[in-house]
Order: sequence, then structure tokens, then C-alpha cells
Amino acid sequence: MARTLDITAFTCPMTWVRTKLELERMAPGEALEVRCREGEALENVPRSAAAAGHAVEVQGTTIRIVRA
Amino acid sequence: MNSRRGFLRDLAAAAAQVGSAAREATAEPVAPASFPLSDAELDRYGRQLALPEWGLAQQAALREARVLVVGTGALGSPVALYLAGAGVGRLGILDDDAVELSNLHRQLLHFTPDVGVPKAESAAAKLRFLNPDIVIEPYRVRLEPANAGALVEGQDLVVDCSDAFATRYAVNAACCAARVPLVEAGVSGFTGLVMSVRPGETACYRCAFPAEPADAPGCAEAGVLGPAAGVVGSLQALEALRLLGGVEGALLDGFLQIDLLGAAFVRVRTTRRPGCPDCGAL
Repeated sequence: MARTLDITAFTCPMTWVRTKLELERMAPGEALEVRCREGEALENVPRSAAAAGHAVEVQGTTIRIVRA
Repeated sequence: MNSRRGFLRDLAAAAAQVGSAAREATAEPVAPASFPLSDAELDRYGRQLALPEWGLAQQAALREARVLVVGTGALGSPVALYLAGAGVGRLGILDDDAVELSNLHRQLLHFTPDVGVPKAESAAAKLRFLNPDIVIEPYRVRLEPANAGALVEGQDLVVDCSDAFATRYAVNAACCAARVPLVEAGVSGFTGLVMSVRPGETACYRCAFPAEPADAPGCAEAGVLGPAAGVVGSLQALEALRLLGGVEGALLDGFLQIDLLGAAFVRVRTTRRPGCPDCGAL
């Protein structure tokens, strides 16, 4: 079961900060499912996660990130 | 020594693992409260936590750190402001002067109504407004060879923002004796210098500058524009955060020579001197 993180209550930059800090606490290869809102977070969080070297997949408003 | 920070980092990692195992078992969404940092800390420090080079380990190390800033003048103002803003847990600020009108163009912590107020107290008041979540410890004393050891003992880092060579050498000797990392800096006119020291591992200030320059002007007669001191103090604060957070690239075994008229930054290499009276025996 993948970890999940709900960032629907947050706005930029805390959407990515919350995601980033959760990823920091995970082991490489572990997956995180981030639930976010349409709009800013759905555009920026996948981009920031990919830029940080993680594998990213977006399904609807769920961002699946596999920690690098 | 970084043993205390290393220990805390290990502790944080262990705590994170326990938390992760518990969440795996219940498959519950991660509650923000389960972070090692509070919601208020995440909000306050969010823009630095967003950096690839800065995260939970660095922020936790900062919160546990005890740092002494020697002097709250032109260099000490930006240094203390940035370190307090960044979340250094215990920030000692040392100054035995009172605020003068001629200080205000470059000493950002002090304002016109503060003239005559002890700088340590004036600085502490502003820093507590800036960040009420940290401990500010004002010391209204002058750092001298006789008290330097006691002031430096137990600190995780000392940032020397003094304006006299005698004080710099006293700080350097005390930091070497106690093996406390040090960030040195100086500014005069349009030139400045920043140097970090890990005593016993890298060149100390006296290794780089064995004797006071014979032609060094006194600070009061040297003249300086506020932003020139601000640039050097800001670089010094950046060095301090870099050392505390273990971010690569610190100005160790070398110093940064800053020419603000020519807009030139030159990194000058230094090495430890075997016979250095301050660090040679370490």
C-alpha cells in the first residue's frame, strides 16, 4: 500500500514543501500518492518532483511519485 | 564538533522510520502533525525548506543549534537577522556598545529611537519580534581573551562580526581551543573578506593572517557604505547556515576576497600552518 499525502488544504509553495518533506522521510523506491486540487498544485508539484529526480505519474488529481 | 547535530539527525531519521512503519500498517493518510516540524515551522521556513539543498535534517539541525554572534553592528545586524529568521534555536548576541546616530546607516538592527540604548538589548528586541519561536540571549559584555573561552564553550558555531583585530584573534583562539566552528569576516571601505574555520581540520584565521596588518585603519576612520557591509554580513550569514546545515561549498581552507568597487569575488586558498599558535596543537 503506497503512502498517501493530502495537500488539498494547501497553496503554493506549501503544496510542494509538504510533498518534498514527505519524500525526504521515505526510502528510495517507495511510492507516495499525493492528493491535490485542480490547478496550481496539479501543475507545479509533478514538475517539481520530476525536477528533483523522482518518477512521476499523474492520474486525475492524484500524483504518484516514486522516490529516487 | 558536529557530534550533537549528528546525533539529532540520527534521532530524527530513527523517529521518521518508526512513524513510517506505523503509517504503513494503518494505511492512513499522512497527517501534517506527524512531521518532525510543526505547522507553524513549516509555514515560517517553507521557502527555505523548498530548496533541494535544505530539508528536514537541515531545519532540525538549525533548531537544535546554539550560535553566538559577536557584535551587533554592520556585519552582526544582517547575520543575526538572517540566523533568527532562518530558525537558529538559541542565538546569543554579544555587544557592549550603545547605539549611536552614526551607526544607523549600516547597522540594520538599530533605529533612531534606539540611540543610547545598549546594542545587545536593542538587537534582542528586534530579533524577538522577528522570530518569537527561538531563544535570544543578549550579552552586554566585550569579548576579551579572559572571557572568550567561557563565551565560546558549548556553542555549535560562532560568527565573529567584531570590528577589531584583537577581538578576531581572541575569538579565533577561543574557537580553536574549544573546537567550535567559526565564521570570520571583515569589511573596510569597499573591500571585504569572509572565511570559515573548522578548528583542527581546516586553516584557522591566524593560519591565514598570522599578524595584524600594520596599516589597518581603525573602523571609525575607515568609512563604509551601508550596503557594502550588508553584502559581507549576508555572505557571512550564508556561510553560517551552510555550516549548520551541512550544505556543501563552505569557504573552508580559504577565504573570499570581495571587491565591491570592481564587483569582483576571488576565492583565495589557504592551508593550515603547522606552527600556528592557535590551532597548531590540535
